[in-house]
Order: sequence, then structure tokens, then C-alpha cells
Amino acid sequence: MILQYDLSEENMKLCGLSEGEEVYYCLPLDIDLQGDYRRNSYTVMTNKRLLILEEGTLTKSYPLEECDQLKSEPQIACGILFIEHSGREVLLGRFTAKHLTRYSYLSRGMVILKRGRTEKVVSHEYEKTCPKCGRGLPNTRECPRCSGNKVGFFKDYVRMVSPHMGKMALILLLMLLSTFVGLLSPRVQRYLVDDLLTAEGKTYVDAVPCLMVMFILAIGAIAINVGKNYMCSRLGSFISADLRRQVFDKIQQLSLAYINDRSPGQLMNRVVRDTRRIKDFCSEVFCNLFTTIISFVFVLIYMLTMNWKLALLAFVFVPVSIGLSIGFRKIIHRKFHMQGIKSDKENSKLQDVISGMAVVKSYGQELSEAEQFGEAADAFADVQRGNETFFAIFFPILSFLLGLGSYLVTFFGGRATLLGTLTPGELLQFITYAGMLYGYVGQLSNLPRHLMNLVTSMERISDIMNQEPAIFDTEESVDLDIQGEIEFHHASFGYKSYQPVLEDISLKVKKGEMIGLVGASGTGKSTLINLIMHLYEVDDGEILVDGVDIRKIRLEKFHSQIGVVLQENFLFAGTIYNNIRFAKQDATHEEVIRAAKMANAHDFICQTPDGYNTYVGEHGYNLSGGERQRIAIARAILSNPRLLILDEATASLDTESEYLIQKALERLTEGRTTFAIAHRLSTLKDADRLVVIDGHHIAEMGSHDELMRKKGIYYGLVRAQLEMQKTTA
Amino acid sequence: MNGPGGHGRPGRGMEEKHSLDDFQLEQMEQETEEMLRVRYLNDNNAKFERTGTGFLSLRVGEEFYPRVTVVRMFPFSDKNEFISIRTAEERSKEIGIIEKLSDVSKETVEMLEEQLTLRYFTPVIEKIIKIKDEYGFAYWNVVTDHGECNFTIRMGGNSVIHLSDTRILIMDIDENRFEIPDVNRLTVAERRKLDLFL
Repeated sequence: MILQYDLSEENMKLCGLSEGEEVYYCLPLDIDLQGDYRRNSYTVMTNKRLLILEEGTLTKSYPLEECDQLKSEPQIACGILFIEHSGREVLLGRFTAKHLTRYSYLSRGMVILKRGRTEKVVSHEYEKTCPKCGRGLPNTRECPRCSGNKVGFFKDYVRMVSPHMGKMALILLLMLLSTFVGLLSPRVQRYLVDDLLTAEGKTYVDAVPCLMVMFILAIGAIAINVGKNYMCSRLGSFISADLRRQVFDKIQQLSLAYINDRSPGQLMNRVVRDTRRIKDFCSEVFCNLFTTIISFVFVLIYMLTMNWKLALLAFVFVPVSIGLSIGFRKIIHRKFHMQGIKSDKENSKLQDVISGMAVVKSYGQELSEAEQFGEAADAFADVQRGNETFFAIFFPILSFLLGLGSYLVTFFGGRATLLGTLTPGELLQFITYAGMLYGYVGQLSNLPRHLMNLVTSMERISDIMNQEPAIFDTEESVDLDIQGEIEFHHASFGYKSYQPVLEDISLKVKKGEMIGLVGASGTGKSTLINLIMHLYEVDDGEILVDGVDIRKIRLEKFHSQIGVVLQENFLFAGTIYNNIRFAKQDATHEEVIRAAKMANAHDFICQTPDGYNTYVGEHGYNLSGGERQRIAIARAILSNPRLLILDEATASLDTESEYLIQKALERLTEGRTTFAIAHRLSTLKDADRLVVIDGHHIAEMGSHDELMRKKGIYYGLVRAQLEMQKTTA
Repeated sequence: MNGPGGHGRPGRGMEEKHSLDDFQLEQMEQETEEMLRVRYLNDNNAKFERTGTGFLSLRVGEEFYPRVTVVRMFPFSDKNEFISIRTAEERSKEIGIIEKLSDVSKETVEMLEEQLTLRYFTPVIEKIIKIKDEYGFAYWNVVTDHGECNFTIRMGGNSVIHLSDTRILIMDIDENRFEIPDVNRLTVAERRKLDLFL
């Protein structure tokens, strides 16, 4: 996302930059306080000052050190910018929703500059519209049209296809054959008419071989086309399978930050829909593309050499038929789109009522709902009826118009035949070719749309493929056997770089210590844990594991030494056995059983009908929350982690399971560095130290007794929980 | 939730329990009470003042708020009634309600409207010059009450919201909003351009 718009020379002059001053950020203030659009107003931040330029004048200028804080506040479909300046909030300007996100980066930029650092904040979010051509971007970094890498696109395509060169060659051969056969048939027909049917002294017996040839050609054409289509779909499925695998591998490599920025649906679409579109292109468009182009050129040349006057006459209608097919496609598209909208409306109304049936019935609103649905159904029916009528009338007219060229050719060609300058066979061949020509034109006019679809899908896929993983091993990465000492050193982090979740966290954890993380929801406890697991990279500061920067530890080795138990534990579709072995694939039966026993899971596992072979997962055996929890604990025990993460591991369990799990956890945490999050503070009674996180910072730290004596946030939380317990008891 | 007895509570907290009870309950009840209260503001009990830096301050009896936000409760149906005056912080609380803008003095209305203008930005489309749809997006070129404007919406999905049969709200890809208060007031040619979205 652009954070530094270009400033005109005049505006640069207005800024009056001093020696060593440099523009860091420049964002438009594209509406005024009344909401009128403006084209030439900007907020400029240099490494020294914050400037406001309004329609050709410099209206405000603040040295950065005088601004306490820069704030952009989202309003309704717009935003305002203000600073805190000597204890007062001063409104600076207003902008449309287009720049909302950009402005939120600006505050962060200022914080960094004020700390005396010189790096620029970079936004990894994508623009919504192409800055060059203004077209909407389909979730890609670069505009499929402007990126100018048409070369890159073909290179990508060739790269995709290159492992399948053999199939490609075969397809090309079949294409040539099919073209040849397609063009040959009319030639044979001409021979039949001229040399056999209208010639003197020939009988039907003479025509038989010719008819046989025509028959064979027709059969051959079918066979070739079947083969060609088969090969093309095969090629398409191979390519899309390759792509799907590659995209999936890449998605797994990418950091969670990238994954979380995009919805699961969006990523699934890239794996499934975009690869399918590429397959469709290979099997439907590509397959006929060369045939069409070769035939088109050949037919053109042939017609010109046969009778150029007649040919030109036929060509006159080519632009007409291109125009007609594009024009009508637009109309048809509109009609279908409209029908789609109405049908969606009807469907969503239906879905709404059916899923809310209990409410409708209990409030006795059946009649009014029926009325509303009736209206939606009528609206859909109206549009549908209109469209059907339209198509019934216009399709015949359209095909008549498209065929107009053929009528002309027939008329003038027929006249020439009667005058004797053209044989009947030639006329027949000519008319057939003209018909083919119009058909090809129709197909070719669809080509830009197909290509655009392909380019967009390829763009979306290469967008993932070209993504550099944010967290990756380098050559300097080391395999570290973790002892368990963790240190946060002025670490800051936010999922969106402009929204800090944790700021300036410093914390030293000794080997084997158990740390309880406490704080209201959304204060960043889980975030802290995600940082420890190195699923995200700190924006600022560092995390040290046994004195080694976490970024320098080889990921796989690091992760293999961490055990995680969450509130909702994900069990993969598979057996209990495989789920426990997930982190240590080579564990023996005995090891698995031992781990299950330590996790208090062995007994209930034995009571399931299929024991350790019990299938769990989406459609499998139904385990209770506590049972899943204990399997997850067994999983963690088996991997013998040096570092243990418990995120709400005992929440939402009944008392008995909680007791069992507590016991299991006690065994698990012994001697291991542990970070535990819990809302129920009782769970943390064994913690060596409690860390209270509030307002992005560590607010309090110490043992339970110390914090109770301090009467701060923790004291308040404990108090509130006792109160709640009293009222619910 | 946890059954009687509250298994596993930190024992160390127990002895403090009784001394905390009364204070805690009282405070919670007070907070709840405050949340339920509807306080109407008018010229007699509320004094708005411009801060001189673009915002609005409010004095209600003893209370003083250096900056308040002004929020419409019914921005589409009754935009000049039931105006909520709120504190400016992130989790804002309601200070009071102005039932009708016509209930307060002209000066106050002016001040409130300044803040409302600042908060709500929904240009009204007065003229449609061109709508082009292409590959999943529609590109609009329109004249609004705030000047000429180009914007892009996504086709399909929920870009166009029908507030009534004739009133529509359009959301562009940046989540800017545009309103057409009455499609029947557009010319026939403009309506035809709009057809696809109705």
C-alpha cells in the first residue's frame, strides 16, 4: 500500500525542506471538513516535521518533538486526523475511507521517527485499485493489466506446461490434423459437386469413392477431436494438480501473519478455484485456440486466392459480426446478472426464514413472511420471463444478422455461378468457408475474456508463489537444544503493524520456571505466546532463547521442542493413536501408552470400542472436551518438550475432568519452562510468577502473594472472580 | 457454573472475601444503574462549547468533558432525532441524548451539526455520468453534492444496499458510501445505467 504519494514541485517548494530533512510519508487529505472533494491537499511527514498542505498553501507545520501523539480516528466512511499537542487535541484534516488504513500507519511512523530511528514503515497490504489505471484489483499485488509482465505471464505459463512437453507435442499434432481435416472436407465436397455430380457421363457409382472419403473424413474429424479434447483435459488436470500441490506447499511455508491476513476462503479459492480456472483454460480454450487461429488464417488466404472480390465482400461482415457478438454478449451478461441477483434475493429470503423458523412461528409472523417471500419470488419470475422473451426473440435475429454475410456471398456467388465465372463446387466450398470464418470470429472475440480470466488466476497464484516467507531459516540458522531460558528484550508486536498489541515487553524467564499470564481478553496474552512459538516475528526488540536470538534458531528443530495444549485442541481426522503420535511419528506403542497414562487418558481410551485405533476427527468418534484435552496433553508429553505452552488448557471443563487434567498438567510441567494462560486464576496456583498484561504492557509481575499485597490489577481480578463465584454459587 | 464449593480457588484469597463483598456489590449495582439511565440533554442542563481546535466540549452540571462525540442513533430514518452524546474514548460511554435537534438553540444545533458533518460522510449522487462494468468491478463516474467523483465497486455481493424501494446506498471497494435518495428522480438514461444494480 502506498504511504508516500508523489508531491508536485510546487508542493515540495511549500514544504521548504531544510538540510538533511527528507519526506517520509505523504498522504492525501482528499476531503475538507465539510466533505467537499479536494485534489491537492496532503499530510506530509518528514523526519523532522509534520506538515499540512491545503490546496496550494502550507497551513500547518509542527516539529515532531512538539507532537505528543498523532491519531487517525475512523469515522463513518471517512476518517479524521488530529494530534495531541501541549495537552490539547487539534484537528488537522479529513480523508475518505480510501486512506483510512494508510493513515493508521502514519501514527506508527511518527512513533518510530520520534524515537530517533530512521526506518520507514512499510505496508504489506495491497492496494484496492491499480494506482496506474484505476481498475479494481482482484486481491493481487499487481494489476493483471498494467503489470506489463505479459512476458512474465507467458513465461509462467510455459513453466507450468514444460513438464508436459510430450503431451503438448501430441496435442499440437492433433490440432494440426484437425485443422487439416476441417479444411479438407469442403474441398472434397467441391470435387464431388464439380467433377462428379454436375459433370457429364458420371454415374452414382463414380461418386461412391468420393462419398467414402467424405465419410472417412467425417469419422476422422470426430476421432481426432475426441483425442484432442481428451489430451487437453488430461494436460489441464495434470497442470492444475501440480499447481495445487505447489500452492499448498507454499501456503504451509508462509508465516501465519500472511495466512491470517487472508480469509481461509480466499486461500482455498486460490488452491481450488484459480487452479481449476487454469485447467479450464487448458482444456477448453487452449485446446481450440490454435485450431481456430490456423484455420482462420488459412481460410482467409484460401478465400482471397479463390475469388478476392467475393472474399472482400464476405469480410465486410467480419467487423459487423465481431461488434454484434461483443455487443450481445454484454446484453446477455447483463440479463443473466440481473436474473442472478433476483434469484439470490429469493434464495436468501428463503434461507433466512427457514433458519429462523422458530422465531417466525413463535411470534406468529408466518403471513407477513409469506407475503415478503411472494414478492421476491414474483420479482424473480418477472425478470426471468422478460429474459426468456428477450432470448426467444433476439437469438433468431442475432443469428440472422450474423449470417447476413453468408447470404450476400450466396447471392453474389450464385450470380457468378450462373454467369459461369464460378463453378457450383467452388461456390459450395466458398460458402462453407465463409460460414467457418464467422464461427471463428465469434470464438476469437471471446478470447480476450478467457485470457483475462487466465491472467487474473495466474496472477493470484503467482502472488502466493512469489511471496517470500516472513519467517524462514537462513544459512546461519542453528540447531539449538533448548534448555528453557527465555528472555524478552524490549519486544513490540502488532498483527497489523499499525495496531500494536504488545509494546516494549521485557521479561526474563529462568529454566524450568512456570509463568502464568493474566489479563483481560484481547490484551495480548495469546499474542505473547505466539511470539514465543515464533509463529510471528517481533516488529521491534528481540526474543532470546538460551541467549540466542529466536530468529537464528532453525524452525523445525525449535518447534519440535515445544509442546502446546490449547483450550480447543485440534484433532486431525485419524485414530487416537496417530493423534498422540503427531509430534513424534516414530514413537513405539509403549511410549504412546505411557504418555496416555501420564495424561490420565489411558483409561477412557481403553473404554472406547476401538481402543487406540478409535477414529476421531470430523466424522469420527465423539470425544468430550476433557477427553480431547487429555489426548492433546498426551501428545505434548510424548514429544517431551523443553518449552510448554498452556493456553486456557483447563477452561470449560467440569470439575472432575479439571482435576484429572490438573494432575496430568502437573506431571507435564515439572522441570519444564512453562507459559500458561488462564482466565480462572485458580489454574495458575502453581505458577512461580504471574505476569499481568494490560494496555499493551506488562503491568504487574510477581508471585500471587506479592501481587495480592500490591492491590493492583491482579488483586482486582481475583476479587471479581470471587464475587462472581459467590453470585453463581 | 462450577457447582457449589468452588473447587480449586486460591485459598489465599479467601480471608479477604468478606471485607470485599459490600463495596464490590454496591459498585456493580451503581454501574448497572448508570447504564440503564436515559438522560436527555437540552439547553438547560447541557452547555456545549467549541474547543477551538475542531472539536466540541460539554459541561453537564458538575461533569466536564473536554471532547465529546456526536452520534446519530437512526442515521438513515431519523437523522435529526435521538442524537447520542458520548465520551471520546475507544469504549465510549453515553453522556446523554438529545431527543430532537429542534429542541436546542440554534447555536447548539450549529455546533452539533459541525461534528455530525465531520463524522458522517455519505455524498449524495446527483448525476450519473457513466457506469462501466468490467471483469467483476463496476466503475462509476458521478456528480455528488460534494463534487465530481470516480469510484469502483465490486460486482455481485453486497455493494448496493436497498434502504427502501427507491433509496439505495452504494459501498465502494474502499468502503466509502454513496447515497441515491430517490432513484425515480434520476433521468431515464441514468436509471438505465443503474439498472444492473436495482
